[in-house]
Amino acid sequence: MIAFKYEKTDGAEYISHLDLLRHVDRTLRRAGIKVAYSQGFHKHPRIFLGNPVPLGVRSLSEYGAIDADFCGDFKEAFNACSPRGIKCLAFKQTAEKPNFAESITACRYEAEGINAFDTARFFERDGLVITDLRGRTADVMPRVLALERRQDRLCFTLRCGENNLRPDLFCSVICGIYGGEVRDIVKTDSYGRNVF
Amino acid sequence: MGCVNRIDIGSLRGLLLKCEKPSRYTGGEYGAPQPVPDAGGFNFCACFPDLYEVGTSNLGIKIVARSFEERGMCADFCFAPARDFGGGLKEAGVPLYSLALKAPLKDFDMLGFSLQYELSYTNMLYMLDLAGIPLTRAEREGGRWPLIAAGGPCAVNPEPLADFIDVFFIGDGESVDADVAEIYKKHGGATRDFYREISGLDGVYVPALTDIEYAENGEVKKISGVTRVKRALVSDLDAAVYPEKFAVPNCESVHDRAVLEVMRGCYRGCRFCQAGFIYRPVRKRSVQTLTRQACELIKNTGYDEVSLNSLSTGDYGRLRELISSLKEHLPPEVTLALPSLRADSFEGGFAQDARKTSLTFAPEAGTQRLRDAINKDITEEEILRAAKSAFDAGYSAVKLYFMLGLPTETEEDLDGICAICEKIRALYSAEKRKKALRLSVSVATFVPKPFTPFQWEAQADEATIKARQDRLIKRLPRGVRLSWSAYYPSLLEAAFARGDRRLGKVLKAAYENGCTFDGWDNLFNERGWRDAFERCGISPHIYVRERGTDEVLPWDHIDVLVEKSFLAKERERAYAGKVTGSCAAGCKGCGLQKNCPAAGGAK
Repeated sequence: MIAFKYEKTDGAEYISHLDLLRHVDRTLRRAGIKVAYSQGFHKHPRIFLGNPVPLGVRSLSEYGAIDADFCGDFKEAFNACSPRGIKCLAFKQTAEKPNFAESITACRYEAEGINAFDTARFFERDGLVITDLRGRTADVMPRVLALERRQDRLCFTLRCGENNLRPDLFCSVICGIYGGEVRDIVKTDSYGRNVF
Repeated sequence: MGCVNRIDIGSLRGLLLKCEKPSRYTGGEYGAPQPVPDAGGFNFCACFPDLYEVGTSNLGIKIVARSFEERGMCADFCFAPARDFGGGLKEAGVPLYSLALKAPLKDFDMLGFSLQYELSYTNMLYMLDLAGIPLTRAEREGGRWPLIAAGGPCAVNPEPLADFIDVFFIGDGESVDADVAEIYKKHGGATRDFYREISGLDGVYVPALTDIEYAENGEVKKISGVTRVKRALVSDLDAAVYPEKFAVPNCESVHDRAVLEVMRGCYRGCRFCQAGFIYRPVRKRSVQTLTRQACELIKNTGYDEVSLNSLSTGDYGRLRELISSLKEHLPPEVTLALPSLRADSFEGGFAQDARKTSLTFAPEAGTQRLRDAINKDITEEEILRAAKSAFDAGYSAVKLYFMLGLPTETEEDLDGICAICEKIRALYSAEKRKKALRLSVSVATFVPKPFTPFQWEAQADEATIKARQDRLIKRLPRGVRLSWSAYYPSLLEAAFARGDRRLGKVLKAAYENGCTFDGWDNLFNERGWRDAFERCGISPHIYVRERGTDEVLPWDHIDVLVEKSFLAKERERAYAGKVTGSCAAGCKGCGLQKNCPAAGGAK
């Protein structure tokens, strides 16, 4: 298998996860990289992407894997045929399926446009209650792992996968408390097993 | 145009995230052309008055844009934004922009609208309005606005849009559109001399140079000024411009696959079918060219499906050879789609993808008598044989298309629809099969169109259509799924298809009433349309009535090269129940003999 790290930016942050899968499939076909197919009744190419990044959130740290026998320079071949903003950053051959959807447990983001506040005192809060898109409320404080300000950007690390916290939702809650309007959110790092 | 006014997508982030499928509006598609502003001294934007998913599936605009690119000119695209994004742009004061350059539409030299169906006309006004361009020619006069052009099948009766469009392209757009651009450059803009010069070209109609007078009874009395506009005709399709790269849409489009245009035109001449007349004569691409184009497209797009498009792909004489050539040269996982097979040319062997279970046939009418009257030239036996070979090839679902309100239709013809369904069901259950049969019937209301033998016919009224729909609902065998279309949109389609200039104000009023996306059932605003007709003091019914044979028709100054006397003769034959049959079996003398390869008139 080939595990690869890629970015989703430069307009591609508006492409949905389902469409992204189609684009990766087509990119590989254009690049002449033959992907193995599943053996079920509805055959599908064995392309595995990590958890979806919310629409509008740019990412410099996405991971995926494909089942393909390809010995050449995957990055070069992929990037020559991929749409704008979906570019491979690194790759490696692996014996086993890395299952990034499970193995990545936290991600770091940077957001622009949130008013400055005392980030050191943030964790002294009693909790951080959010209402998700389905109207359920939860205290997500334990899912916020780190928070700091760097110039005009708020940098934060959130849990991912199980006990996931969406960065866009987090930002809108923070804006609700401290003011501001988010202009840009970008995922800069992913943490967990198998990342490289 | 320069680079001064580009729209910054970043500034639209908030709006994009509030809208459904924001990737419709961001551009950057793989394989999309990368136009250079002012290249070749001319900036063209192909505009499609429907959603991104629909427009990116259209082949015509790709061909037209390619013809500008081939001359070194700048060509970009724009699609109608859904109401959420369109409303947001308006609120934010951001003008509608092109996809690749993100340049406001008003900065282009020419906008070319593709008119594929009458129910997209309000969307054209919607796009102009969002672009900040005055809607009518009169309001734009003297200002520095782009030339507003339109082409496509609906342009054969351009009159309902004459208030809004500066230049219509009638017929094949492969070369004449860019010819007009060259002349525009020569004159330094849309001057009086420019219009005079282009009106001399085949395929160009300048509504400002033609006057229409109306009689008191509402009929057209006289057409004066430029009174004959010949359709542009590409005689050698094999050598014609074809995009060997398609932009792969950001989000799934309605026809998300590579498309080959196997033929243009159709031999059959079904009397209700406008495409069967306005695209004459039949012109084909060679197996060699099509194979090369398919391989290029698959390589450049990464699609896993190639669709063999034409009005009737089964009539491509070398279909078998084409299919085996494609299978030989394309990667093995690529499947072929044959979307327009007539029942008499269907063979189980064409069954393509094992996962496909549904097949659609269009008998159009329920009895042999009516099928003969519309020159469908297909027998019940052929329909049943096709169904049987589909079932034997593993298909378990069949969809049948019929029309209601065809000239000479009686209740017997409706009962014929029920009888065909019974027979198909019996055929399916005659053998033991794995799955239950799914049989659906779809009935549309017949819309008489210009340049067909039925161009003089009345459209059936609402009560008649309702009664016929009811009869089917009551009498179709149990288990057959019936779907039918609403009457009012068909009435509008009929009014605009055979309308005249006076409908311009109705269209504008309807747009002002909030009518857009009229072709979308869920967005159709019947009240807005009814009110528009009422306010303008015009009844749609004057356009759907039967036309006298000696009446001046609103499209009489457009010459699609098929003779009016041939159409009249075909109408007589319809009433006599006589089949004319396929041109491939012998020339019927429609007027295009000189240009027609099948008639020996061209290569």
